[in-house]
Amino acid sequence: MIKVIEDLKSLFGHKRGLPFNVLFERFKDVLKNNTRALEIITDMGEKLSGDYLFDINYIKGAYSELTAAVKDSLQGFDMLTQNSYSQLHETFNRIDGQIRGALNGRIQSTDEMVIFYENIPWDKYPVVGGKNANLSELKNYLKLNVPEAFSVTTHAFDEFIKHNNLQESINAIDVNTAESKLKELQDSIINSEILPDLEIAIGKALEEIRKRCGGDCFLAVRSSAEEEDREFSFAGQFETVLNVPLEGGAVEEAYKKVIASLFSEKAVIYMKQLGYDISNFKMAVGCMVMVDAVSSGIIYSTNPHRDDAMIINATWGLGRSIVEGEVDADFYAVRKVLTPEIIDEKTGRKESMIINQKDGGTKKVKTPDAIRDKPCLSEEQVLELARLAMLTEKHFRGPQDIEWAIDKGGRISILQSRPLKVVETRDVIARSEATKQSLQSTEIASPPSRNDKVLMKDKGIAIQKGVAAGRVFILKQADELDRVPKAAVLVSKHDSSNFVKVMPYISAIVTDTGTPTSHMASLCREFRIPTIVNTGNATGILKHGQEITLYIDDDGKNVIYEGIIGELLEYADLTFRRMEDIYEFRKKRYILRYISPLNLVDPMMDSFTIEGCKTMHDILRFIHEKAVTELVEGARYGLKGRHPVKLDLPIPTGIVVIDIGGGLDIKPDKRNATYEEITSIPLRAIIKGMLHPGVWHSDPIPLKVGDFFTSMMRMDDIVSGSANFSSQHIAIASKEYLNMGLRFGYHFNLIDSYCSENQRNNHIYFRFAGGATDITKRSRRIQLIADILKEYGFSIKTKGDLIIARLANIGRDEMVNILDQLGRLIAYTRQMDALLHDDSAVKRYTENFLEENYKL
Amino acid sequence: MNQYRVMVIDDEKIVCDMAKMSLEQEGYIVETFLNAEPALARLKEGRFDVVVTDYKMKGIDGMDVLRTVKNLYPETDVIMITAFANLDTAIEALRGKVHDFFPKPVKIKELKTSIQRALSKKK
Repeated sequence: MIKVIEDLKSLFGHKRGLPFNVLFERFKDVLKNNTRALEIITDMGEKLSGDYLFDINYIKGAYSELTAAVKDSLQGFDMLTQNSYSQLHETFNRIDGQIRGALNGRIQSTDEMVIFYENIPWDKYPVVGGKNANLSELKNYLKLNVPEAFSVTTHAFDEFIKHNNLQESINAIDVNTAESKLKELQDSIINSEILPDLEIAIGKALEEIRKRCGGDCFLAVRSSAEEEDREFSFAGQFETVLNVPLEGGAVEEAYKKVIASLFSEKAVIYMKQLGYDISNFKMAVGCMVMVDAVSSGIIYSTNPHRDDAMIINATWGLGRSIVEGEVDADFYAVRKVLTPEIIDEKTGRKESMIINQKDGGTKKVKTPDAIRDKPCLSEEQVLELARLAMLTEKHFRGPQDIEWAIDKGGRISILQSRPLKVVETRDVIARSEATKQSLQSTEIASPPSRNDKVLMKDKGIAIQKGVAAGRVFILKQADELDRVPKAAVLVSKHDSSNFVKVMPYISAIVTDTGTPTSHMASLCREFRIPTIVNTGNATGILKHGQEITLYIDDDGKNVIYEGIIGELLEYADLTFRRMEDIYEFRKKRYILRYISPLNLVDPMMDSFTIEGCKTMHDILRFIHEKAVTELVEGARYGLKGRHPVKLDLPIPTGIVVIDIGGGLDIKPDKRNATYEEITSIPLRAIIKGMLHPGVWHSDPIPLKVGDFFTSMMRMDDIVSGSANFSSQHIAIASKEYLNMGLRFGYHFNLIDSYCSENQRNNHIYFRFAGGATDITKRSRRIQLIADILKEYGFSIKTKGDLIIARLANIGRDEMVNILDQLGRLIAYTRQMDALLHDDSAVKRYTENFLEENYKL
Repeated sequence: MNQYRVMVIDDEKIVCDMAKMSLEQEGYIVETFLNAEPALARLKEGRFDVVVTDYKMKGIDGMDVLRTVKNLYPETDVIMITAFANLDTAIEALRGKVHDFFPKPVKIKELKTSIQRALSKKK
């Protein structure tokens, strides 16, 4: 006991002089403002969902409340962290500027010469051109696989023209300009100088590409004119230079060649016909890493002659031979239904193919006999392409002309997506026909009554209405998320904001637990994914791989049917899709893009940085995580004047509690407390777990000779370790908060948890390190802990024998269960490393733990 | 089928467009106006069953619309929506015999229900 008090004394006074009670109050203040801000975001999502009539006054009012809340949160955060993250203000100002610009209908101008795709926001198409804008939309929003790429902007184009005094020659052009004059202008562009700023910007971008993809990749340099691939496709009008080496000179030459093509005779005539003013026409250029394509091709997401099907053409090597009509390509017709099916196919005789040359450029070669008459896609690949095309068509709300390529690893890349004009007229007619019919029916909003088998009815809480169908994917562990197929219905025990990674392409979400105010719930509304949470036992009722249809009505009543019910799907979100046709609605709703999406999904990811913050939601998430970190690090300090109270437990934990408000229910002068007297929710839950029958093994586990020596040698490392490890067995607790360090033998546990009624504020931070045995055994214990914590949805980071696990946004009851399990785990693994002689033991003990068998 | 006629007056295009789209879905004939003057002129030309009007508009405001409609076409119901809702405006509107009064943003479903209620009286 005396030792503990000595330990505490040495810790009085934070390194930065913040007493803990001040720190804790500021932390709570940050949480309060974050909650307020997130509630406004949720409200905006709901009001702009298409279910409400709203006007600009609402948006302005709500946004001004939101900025006030975020500013308050930032201010509290600055005080908590003593201005450690002052750059966050710049990020806030940037995003705020974007939103205010959008609110005032102003398109952001840019002075950037080069922008990477991931940094292109929706309203940047005038500066990056249509092609770049569409692709970045697919990459950033739908998370499709688009190769690494950057855009050279229209601002760079303007500066280039200015620098080389070319504007006058451009102004002189009209449709009657002789071909020779146009040729002259093109030559002078090609012979012009790249201005120094642009040279630097391209050089930096190439360096970045080299860093991301290695030095041996090549670029495709393609036109992306202002209006290209938007209203009009400009298909084939401008130059493309393929397989350009990653060198400044080569890329600049290709750049000039591409912009010169703006003034080719055919392009000038085409633009004139469409009524464009050539002297004001600007061209951005896309520079994209080349795919070393095994096969490539084109998709028309709607067959111009048959609305319910799409066409896929494929050939060996690069797709250019198809675009230029040089090859008898493979042909597939695929029916566009939820589970697409191939309805027609023809394998072409592909006499030649275009391939990348080793040192740059491309060449046409004879197709090897062995593959010439073979189909270049597997059935699975055709169907995957079809799914991607349907997704893209849905996103851009119209038929698409898509270019794709597949590399040696079988990975599909999307290289272009633009509106397929030929079908639009037909589409418009079809839609107006449908509108006419729907006008005659007043029952459009309610589906027909059904006799299909009902699997679940009116369970849980509906988060987002709608109709969806798909195959059930039961998510057992967080890291399986990458395996969730497109159009699946994601079914999971817990809800998680990590699901945002798959939200753009899944059909629906159903969870056993969860609440309507979680991060995930806001994201589901943002992505309009039909979602039901808190169903109790959906993971038990629904079977992995089973096909289901889910219907959630306006009032939140819901049904899940067995099988795919086509007629029901026709009712899916009809109102919203119609609303999306209203330009003003789309424009206003786009403001949410800067507010609601969450890019900082996992605090363990490298991108969890200030630079990674793209939206207001990201800023709030960043603040929350870093505030927790600040608390974890600062909780050990500045506890002067607080009395430590020893816990009298049936097991010898040696824990002393410092009650900072509502943590214990004892008389003020008492110096010890029993389990029953613990009123701190998180502490009680952890101790309950540690006291669970059978988890605390009191017999020492014998160390092997080698382990014994390791333990002796490690003593120094451990004792001289950081301050975080020197204050073991102290629990700082309030009614809703716990920070506790525990040292057992040679390893350390640190738990920090906030467990309140407000799910959004809740977190568990768990750190575990050390052990007496050799590094292999210690690492095995880390593996075991990681495997078990993943089962409970924790994000995990491990390094050697250190593990950091985090969990946030969990409802209080669920938190209590998880903390109970964590208590059991801490007790169970106390001496476990000594038993982990081989990897199979890790699996065995993990399974035992999850089955509540705690025998060692 | 006798189709009911609904007029929507709001100085914001987005409100008119969204209201038109969703009310047409219910089978109503919908006409929208960005200000009240031409709307009142249109009322002279033909009967409307329900007028949905914004409260605060430049020129003739929603309260003027309410008074004029109730005065000249007592059979026509008026539903008022406003971003600036307070008790006084609500009381004033009720005295002017408004059928319903909603603060903005208004849930489209509630607006539809209110219109249906107004129309069911007429049957």
